[in-house]
Amino acid sequence: MSTLTETKTATTSNLARAKELWNEYLPYWFMTPMVLVMLLITVFPGVYDLYLSLVHYELTNPATMGTFAGLSNFRAAFTSAGALHSFGVTLAFVGGSLALETAFGFVLAALVTGVKSDRMQAFYRVAFILPMAVAPVSLATIFRIMLNSEVGVVPYLIATYTPFVAPNFLSDLPLLTIILVDTWNWTPFMFIIFYAGLSSVPDTLVEAAKVDGAPLWRRYVHVVVPYMKPVLFVAILIRLIDLFRTFGLVFSLTRGGPGTATQLVSINIFEQGFKFVDLGVASAIAIVYLVGIVALCNVLIAKVGFDGVWD
Amino acid sequence: MPSEHTRRNLLRAVGIGALGGLAGCTRGSMQSGGSSETSGSTGTGESGGGSDELAVPLDEYTGADIDWKQFEGTTINIGAVNHPWVSSIKPAIPVFEELTGIDVVWNILPEQQFRTKRLTDVSTGAGKFDVFFLDQVVNQFAESGWLQPLDPYFDDGSLYDEQWYKPDDLFEATTWQAHGGGYSDTWTGMPITVEVQTQFYRTDLYEKHGLEVATTLEGFRENAKTIHEEESDVVGTVGRGQKGYGMNIYVLNTFLREHGAELWENYPKDSGLDTDGAIAAAQWYVNLLREYGPDGASSQTWSDVLSTMQSGRAGHIVSDANLFWPNLIDSSSSDVADNVEIARVPAPESGQFGPNAYSWQIASSKNAKNSKQAFLFMLWATSEPTNTWMHLESDAAFSVRRSVWENDEFRSRVGEKFAQVSLESLEVAKPDPFDRKYPEWGQKYSEELQKAIAGTKSPEAAMKRAAEKAQQTFQ
Repeated sequence: MSTLTETKTATTSNLARAKELWNEYLPYWFMTPMVLVMLLITVFPGVYDLYLSLVHYELTNPATMGTFAGLSNFRAAFTSAGALHSFGVTLAFVGGSLALETAFGFVLAALVTGVKSDRMQAFYRVAFILPMAVAPVSLATIFRIMLNSEVGVVPYLIATYTPFVAPNFLSDLPLLTIILVDTWNWTPFMFIIFYAGLSSVPDTLVEAAKVDGAPLWRRYVHVVVPYMKPVLFVAILIRLIDLFRTFGLVFSLTRGGPGTATQLVSINIFEQGFKFVDLGVASAIAIVYLVGIVALCNVLIAKVGFDGVWD
Repeated sequence: MPSEHTRRNLLRAVGIGALGGLAGCTRGSMQSGGSSETSGSTGTGESGGGSDELAVPLDEYTGADIDWKQFEGTTINIGAVNHPWVSSIKPAIPVFEELTGIDVVWNILPEQQFRTKRLTDVSTGAGKFDVFFLDQVVNQFAESGWLQPLDPYFDDGSLYDEQWYKPDDLFEATTWQAHGGGYSDTWTGMPITVEVQTQFYRTDLYEKHGLEVATTLEGFRENAKTIHEEESDVVGTVGRGQKGYGMNIYVLNTFLREHGAELWENYPKDSGLDTDGAIAAAQWYVNLLREYGPDGASSQTWSDVLSTMQSGRAGHIVSDANLFWPNLIDSSSSDVADNVEIARVPAPESGQFGPNAYSWQIASSKNAKNSKQAFLFMLWATSEPTNTWMHLESDAAFSVRRSVWENDEFRSRVGEKFAQVSLESLEVAKPDPFDRKYPEWGQKYSEELQKAIAGTKSPEAAMKRAAEKAQQTFQ
């Protein structure tokens, strides 16, 4: 009898302990499925990518597939596979696009915030967001036609309504062209974030600066922008990461050309992996690229910081 | 050259940009219009035609000494790109199904997506596709051991009847490509379409300026020059300048071989790209486009070339797929429909006529479970009865069989001149040899050529660098 009671007591105590453990670690249990999914979709591909970068993995050369390659894929990436050049092109593209998108996005947001009528504000919000809704490949196709020197509307407008000679956008100014097209496509993203940020700037601060006699530009430089620093930083960081991933728009517009003038790292990786089917070299470039982007973002976060974002 | 743009031209260009189905002109490109369609257990598509009456009488096939019914009750999966060949053959699929008792399931995708899916299917050994479209990567696939060589099936008396199939009716250029362009001793697949390069010109401008159709490169250059200089809003010629192994080099290789040069004079040590003939060809093509071509010729794809000609803003297409023809003479999309004519590609005065040609083929994977059934399908699809029917009953004009091009009814439908020029060109066509590294060195070669067309490099320097890069891919 006593044994039964002891068993019951022990069971009750185990259940209570389990319940206690469950409650104690409740947030972690809820996180577990997500963590597992993340492991599956990020950690596993990452580790596999690292493995591929260290072995010979040219699909058309089955004899050497899977054999240890040391750092030869990395060496090939920088010598014959043009990784260095594509990193340079990517930095120019990302820098140019980010600067323009940030500037235009902020100016547009400031202008729309200044519109008095709510209806007109709503209209502008929708109108300025529209370009973001176009898929990159469709956008590239449209721009290819619009920029065509023979049948395109852009050279026509330049030749007709300006004193300038229309340039050959895709052959003479390829890098600038892809920057401008991306700017057209993604300025709305910056606009909408900045618009939200500007809407949150307290009127009292701006009014106070006004009363103190600060002109418009000073109110922006010394009041609005510092107040919006966290918003600006987050928007720039998100867009920066996204710009590094650009592929479809540029590939469809120029295929990385003329020559390799617009060969972004993403296009280079695609060519190495899917055209030349050398997954080892493609993975090596991807690893270097990933490490570079993570390092850059960490430096930015460390130097500029998220001050104010989490307050 | 001053430009004159009209709203109509712009709208037309938009329409042309949406064209997704021009046969064979999408190689090496990202043109991916069209639908993704599957059928059978996965989906939404169709598995053949819908009519109760068979398109082709069965006795066209039953006379062959082939055991058509040996795989009755099985199913084959076909992986295909969204291509006019598919729409042309689909109504005849019930004939195959009735003849063999094999069900056909289509998996149709836009070109780029198809390429990725095909690579995954064969490289992982999944073998989902029993039959699939194959292009320039033929030797990449063959040497990786992914393809099912078809010779054992050709040797199998129950699967093949030479007398009925008439393999000699296939153009040599197409069977050569089906043998890996000289890099395979066996059949790697069977050709389903062929296109050959031809010249297109404006008859109204020829009449106006008293020009003669050029058979030589020198004559062509003169014609292009006359139109370029005499017409205010028309360029002398257009041609592919965009990089990509199916783009600018696809056109240049015609002139390269006509100049007596050869790709891979000594494979894989000497690419032949820096020989005198190859450099002369590059100089001719680059200078032609730079002097008498449109601004920004280096970024022109096949669709740009076509749209510029259709909009009446070019005097010629120097050399491109004969399959442009239906689009050029279609008055609903072409301003020059009544004023365009086709001719053989010009050749150097001291050279030899030898236009480039290209075939899509269908092949089977080594891991496919139904390769024999797939072979029966390939045989049926490329046979004379099926090919003739396809070309008489649809808009198709890409037959790999000589008999179709000689068929009076077909010639009457597509036009005598088009048929004759295509036939003459196909008889002597010299296609590109796609070795296993072709996608890599072809891409680099095309990049160098694009730089020359863009004017950032001389043609000679570009070809020498192309030769170096091509040879480096084998080190």
